[in-house]
Amino acid sequence: MLLPPTDSKIVARRAEIVAALREIVPDGVVADPSGLATFDTDALSAYHQMPLVCVLPSNREQVSAILKFAGAEGVPIVPRGAGTSLSGGALPREDGILIGMGRMKRILEIDYENGCVVVEPGVTNLNITKAVEANGFYYAPDPSSQIACTIGGNVAENSGGLHCLKYGLTTNNLLGVTMVLPGGEIVTLGGKSGAQGGLDLMGLVTGSEGLLGVVVEVVVKILRKAPVTRTLLASFDSVPAAGACVAAIIADGVVPAAMEFMDRPAAEAIESYNQPGYPAGAEAILIIDADGVEADVSHAVSRVIDIVAKCGGKTVEATDEKQRARIWSGRKAAFAAMGKLAPDMICMDGSIPRHALPSVLEEMAKLSQKHGLGFCNVFHAGDGNLHPLIIFDTMKPGEFERAEAFGADILRLCVKVGGVLSGEHGVGIEKRDLMTEQFTESDLEQQHRVKCAFDSQGLFNPGKVFPTLSACVEQGHIHVHGAQLPHPHLPRF
Amino acid sequence: MSKADSPAQVVEFVRAARAGKAPFEIVAGGTRRNVGAPLRDLPLLDVSGLSGILKYEPEELIVTAQPATPLAEIASVLAEKNQRLGFDPADWSKLLKSNGVATLAGAASCDASGSGRLRHGGPRDSLLGFQAVNGLGESFRGGSKVVKNVTGFDLPKLMCGAYGTLSVLTEMTFRVYPKPQYAAILCLADVTVEDGFAALRRIARSALEPAGLAYLPARMMAEVGQGAALIKLEGAREPLEQKIALAHGLLGQAMQRIEEDPFPAIGSGEKFSDLTGDVWRVMIAPSDAPRVVKELNLSHWLGDWAGGVIWLAAAPSEAARIRKIAADAKGQAMLLRASVESRALHGLFAPQPPALAALNRAVKAAFDPLSLFNPGRL
Repeated sequence: MLLPPTDSKIVARRAEIVAALREIVPDGVVADPSGLATFDTDALSAYHQMPLVCVLPSNREQVSAILKFAGAEGVPIVPRGAGTSLSGGALPREDGILIGMGRMKRILEIDYENGCVVVEPGVTNLNITKAVEANGFYYAPDPSSQIACTIGGNVAENSGGLHCLKYGLTTNNLLGVTMVLPGGEIVTLGGKSGAQGGLDLMGLVTGSEGLLGVVVEVVVKILRKAPVTRTLLASFDSVPAAGACVAAIIADGVVPAAMEFMDRPAAEAIESYNQPGYPAGAEAILIIDADGVEADVSHAVSRVIDIVAKCGGKTVEATDEKQRARIWSGRKAAFAAMGKLAPDMICMDGSIPRHALPSVLEEMAKLSQKHGLGFCNVFHAGDGNLHPLIIFDTMKPGEFERAEAFGADILRLCVKVGGVLSGEHGVGIEKRDLMTEQFTESDLEQQHRVKCAFDSQGLFNPGKVFPTLSACVEQGHIHVHGAQLPHPHLPRF
Repeated sequence: MSKADSPAQVVEFVRAARAGKAPFEIVAGGTRRNVGAPLRDLPLLDVSGLSGILKYEPEELIVTAQPATPLAEIASVLAEKNQRLGFDPADWSKLLKSNGVATLAGAASCDASGSGRLRHGGPRDSLLGFQAVNGLGESFRGGSKVVKNVTGFDLPKLMCGAYGTLSVLTEMTFRVYPKPQYAAILCLADVTVEDGFAALRRIARSALEPAGLAYLPARMMAEVGQGAALIKLEGAREPLEQKIALAHGLLGQAMQRIEEDPFPAIGSGEKFSDLTGDVWRVMIAPSDAPRVVKELNLSHWLGDWAGGVIWLAAAPSEAARIRKIAADAKGQAMLLRASVESRALHGLFAPQPPALAALNRAVKAAFDPLSLFNPGRL
């Protein structure tokens, strides 16, 4: 994956730039090689690059001063939250300032009356929930990296999770964002009222992958925890039967809090990894959560049991919290379990129309033969977000290249059936060169012009999201070696 | 007036307008033409022919339609499959005394959502993708036709609430949801403003997923003493009964059940259609509602979204005062219905801080550099 060429003139001015940043943030500039090595990658760890310098501001005024300096001096900026991006969104540049937001981690206000929390960008996703759960509330988006990932990063990536079908992505759970624009101006978009009095720039900025500015404050909505949650495990003799069941559940009017699909290879790998008790011999498994008030949940559960039976499946319900947790622990360990099957794997993140699932799975099996590599599937079936895991061995000549080619073919397939390249991981550098598969030239030019409206100098996260003519190699994806994930303590789904 | 009945004709029209540097007004159903700063004597581009559902996939929870498809048509087609649009579109035609037909693009472009916004979000939360023609006369696409997508910039968000100032929409894909089988309206009558809004906020932060929470003072609703807190709950039969019981338990007070649903008239502004004066929507943090209402000190108002929006009617001379109260509460006062003069003077929203205003202008120019589309409306 090629990034725009390094500007050697900027690299030559490194000492001067470091000194200028120390003026702004005396206690927060990392410039020594061992310190910088901490920041040389994110969770797309096949790619490494030492930043020119890393600066860790502790307030919005410092962020503003840094961006003003960068704008005046023409130095690229790469924003970073916790560095858990799966698409290389926070990959540094040799000629760029990496601006790490981890020190701005105060929860500024908890406002139960208005159902919101005001936070700095470095607060972790899970810490928002932790701050309010004693009072029965939580923050709904739950990306798998939620114990580590920050809310600023969630805004940048429009992070999802297991419960998007019912509760939406990050963008649906925000009321306000304060950001520093390229050049240092500070703007507030929305607030506790949610109203912006102009264009919905908050919606635009959410999911903009660090290309438009740096988020310094966020107002998130919090929700009352559902009083009842029940979990069902449904097993099927065939993948199409499971696919049809998903469609039937949706068509019936049930909106599960989560609905996860696993094919047989995935379920077997997980079963041998942490024994969640998945039924043996099933070709496909669904995990379905229903939440709400007791009667709502009972209604949904009885509908789901009926529909599963009509689709030829069998249902088992978790009898207690412990069993619920066990069923989900399997799903959440899918990544690590796959890692036991082969030394390396990559995880894809396409979204497809749900009805295309059986045909996509069939096509993927053919692609697997074509590329001579195994794979398995976990899938947020409720919202059509597919996470195929391709397994390979870097030590075998050509396998890494074949795995990447297989991955790119899968994403092309997703687009071909009416889907998209990314359901929740973002484009970053990983899928950048496939953007032309999904978008026409005029689509991309329009997005480029929006980028320029914010960042006329093109200094923010250059080389991410949008393909450049010079780049031609398709690759990327989450690279896992020897079952060691980047951030191995995080579940990945 | 020119008519464009196909995306190709829109492209052709925009290219000609661009060549002649001739701004124009975009009209679909025509119900919301008198909202926002007035567009005087501009040529019209009538896109009402771009109407009709293109593809409805109930099991995928999406519908793709042409922009001028009437809201009523969408609602009835979706209802056949027991579904509804992802947001609660508000038809302002009674408020604005319009004979037109409220359309999908009109509701989305004007960010017009009714009482259900509380639960379901606005058009921004359910517009998944669109096709449009920008000010360069190029057809482009934003978003997608799947329910979960983070690929590229989220341009659908920008289209919602842009009042047609960014592009001419030619196709829209919305998320749809199952339609609840039953609804119940509970009325907590004869409560003060403070107690009424407090009750609504208590329900808002419960797990009851209310579909409407409004407070109406005596002047806006008959036979409710000093005022009424109205609660709309939805669900299948048994869950709904349970939610009603839980709501009673939460508030610890007796509530009547009302047969007729007052929320469509509340959320669409219809309650104000026969009142004189300008009609405003003041969007604030819900807990500020009692204080803001007191400061406003007006006779005709109501609070929806648990207090997050105050609808009011006021004399034109009150504009500056209303804007100031909204600004002091860190909210936004939107001038929804007013004379041409008032709208020209006060605009749809208060002027934004300079940096934000400049950013809005830059984003507008990124789509429409010559300012051809509805210039100055937003």
